[in-house]
Amino acid sequence: MASISIEKVTKIYPNGFEAIHELDLDVADGEFMVLVGPSGCGKTTALRMVAGLEDITGGTLRIGDRIVNDVSSKDRDIAMVFQNYALYPHMTVAENIGFALKLRKIPKAEIKKKVEDAAAILGLTEWLDRKPGQLSGGQRQRVAMGRAIVREPSVFLMDEPLSNLDAKLRVQMRAEVARIQRRLNVATLYVTHDQVEAMTMGDRVAVMRAGLLQQCDKPQVLYDHPVNLFVAGFMGSPAMNLFDATLGEGAATALVGSQKLELPSSLHAIRPALKSYANRPVIIGIRPEDLPVAGDEPAAIDEAVYFEGDVELVEALGSELLVHFTTDAHRVEAEGAKDADSEGLSAGALTKGGEGVARVEPRSQLVVGRRVRFRIDPARFHFFDPASGLSITS
Amino acid sequence: MSAAAPGLARRRPAARRAPRGRFRTVWKEARRDPVKVVIFLLLLAVSAGMLYPFLFMILNSLRSENQYLSGTGFSTVSWGQLFANLPVGRELLNSTLVCVASIAIILALSSAAGYAFAKLRFRRQGLLFFAVIGSMMVPLQSIIIPVYVNFAHLHLINTYLGAILVYAGFGTPFATFLMTTFFRGLPDELTEAAACDGLGHAGSFFRVALPMAKPALATVAVLQFIQIWDDLLVGLLFLQEPTNRTITVGLGVLSSGRVVSVPVLMAGSLVSALPAVLVYLFFQRYLVAGLTLGVNR
Repeated sequence: MASISIEKVTKIYPNGFEAIHELDLDVADGEFMVLVGPSGCGKTTALRMVAGLEDITGGTLRIGDRIVNDVSSKDRDIAMVFQNYALYPHMTVAENIGFALKLRKIPKAEIKKKVEDAAAILGLTEWLDRKPGQLSGGQRQRVAMGRAIVREPSVFLMDEPLSNLDAKLRVQMRAEVARIQRRLNVATLYVTHDQVEAMTMGDRVAVMRAGLLQQCDKPQVLYDHPVNLFVAGFMGSPAMNLFDATLGEGAATALVGSQKLELPSSLHAIRPALKSYANRPVIIGIRPEDLPVAGDEPAAIDEAVYFEGDVELVEALGSELLVHFTTDAHRVEAEGAKDADSEGLSAGALTKGGEGVARVEPRSQLVVGRRVRFRIDPARFHFFDPASGLSITS
Repeated sequence: MSAAAPGLARRRPAARRAPRGRFRTVWKEARRDPVKVVIFLLLLAVSAGMLYPFLFMILNSLRSENQYLSGTGFSTVSWGQLFANLPVGRELLNSTLVCVASIAIILALSSAAGYAFAKLRFRRQGLLFFAVIGSMMVPLQSIIIPVYVNFAHLHLINTYLGAILVYAGFGTPFATFLMTTFFRGLPDELTEAAACDGLGHAGSFFRVALPMAKPALATVAVLQFIQIWDDLLVGLLFLQEPTNRTITVGLGVLSSGRVVSVPVLMAGSLVSALPAVLVYLFFQRYLVAGLTLGVNR
């Protein structure tokens, strides 16, 4: 078992395209690190460089204490699970799982035992004599996992291993993969474009965009404290509501469309830098679940801020309602929000113009076309610099 | 349930009348689409035209010279004459030897080259592949004389090795093209998974790619077998001795004699054509698969 250390790693293709720019990332021994980002952000390239399937243009890559920049895949002691599973179609499930062990010339009896143990963990025992072509997608995915775990590698690398499964199976396998990783306690680098997978599986999540690492932290920290507009828009489904706003004198008010929101002094205590944005435009962000309908909020909010909109559409999800409302404020579409994969109904696809989305109590009395009043905890507001897109924090 | 039972009972007699029913369906189809009938009749005529030489060959091989001239009666005299005048067994053996050895070389070279073109990255790869494809465009007849002269200098005329090298040399480019197309169709992840499992390029080729390439290898083998078995020109130039002639060369010698017996020639032609026809019939599905390689990518 070992850690992965990526130091200022760069990838430039022969045509001059820079896929990764000075990526710094450390995956501790036993840690489950998820690399997430939209298509073409460089996350798979980064993973392939760790696997030794892509040359590294610059920087240093370590697995354990060893620099592996120029070490071939077969000598890196890694196991990789591919998006399309890459099972050998001419071998049975047992042969697929035990192939790497056979190459290491491990005694047959030992291979058999390890394969059977892995099959038992993954519920594949009765399929061991089948060929991959005779298995369902979920079973193939498990064989791919089996092939990886039986090797007892230093590092697990997974390239969107659940993306070919249907939604229900994906949820089931998500938990299973996470459980296996915890059980084996091997450093894992997991690539996905699905932010729900990233949030639910990773010990830490690294968000990438256009070859650059945006933020790397625990899932809840990423969600609660996104460093920029991209991370704010990418993490969360439905995406964060982002509106253009102008702060008033002393940053005591925020003009969002025609609505003037009173910003209490407690907010300035949390975000002192906000004062320097007095009389300047900012982007204000509110998560859909931070928009409870006035009167429905679970606990009384001190110094609450009220925000209003016209109900345009109500989606009943059983456990909650997704309320699409319109305001006269200008909605800012964060780049990442469009790419974020989602299992919810509203990944931002329905939002346009001054629309926002609120996630409210299932029994809220809302009528389409009527005005709705949200009561917001000021501590839940996010503020971003419109020029740099960076979060306005301390 | 009660509604289904009478339905089943009604269907049963209809199933018994199936042939008549099928004929009626065909007739209905024909009336609806007369163009199909015309196409069918046309194809029937073409098939008959193509099968007629085989029928002619089989029927006349079973006749003596006189029976052939009169057009009546059957006998096995011509077959006896064929085996008396021609070392058929030896020539079949020679053909088999040359075919098998050439195909073995072609398969070894084309599969390795195909894998390299499809899965490895190296300098001047495109140019090299273009050269291989380009060499397919050069007709054998146009360069056979220089090849002959060079082989004569190397004392390879009238040796099996000479003919085998020529067949292998001319067969490999097309086979390489087919194998490259096949290997390009294999997902890169398979060889990458093999690399992660601990295999180098050679290991990936032999233990992962090659076992999966059986259908493509079979296609190449069948195509080359038919081509090499049926070839006359190379055999005629490079295998002139009576002891190392192939069956097609032997047949050529038989037909160039002063007195040509058509029934004996037909018997010889049948012996010569049969292996290629049998190979084609048995491995037809590989041929179709091979010729559509890359279509469904």
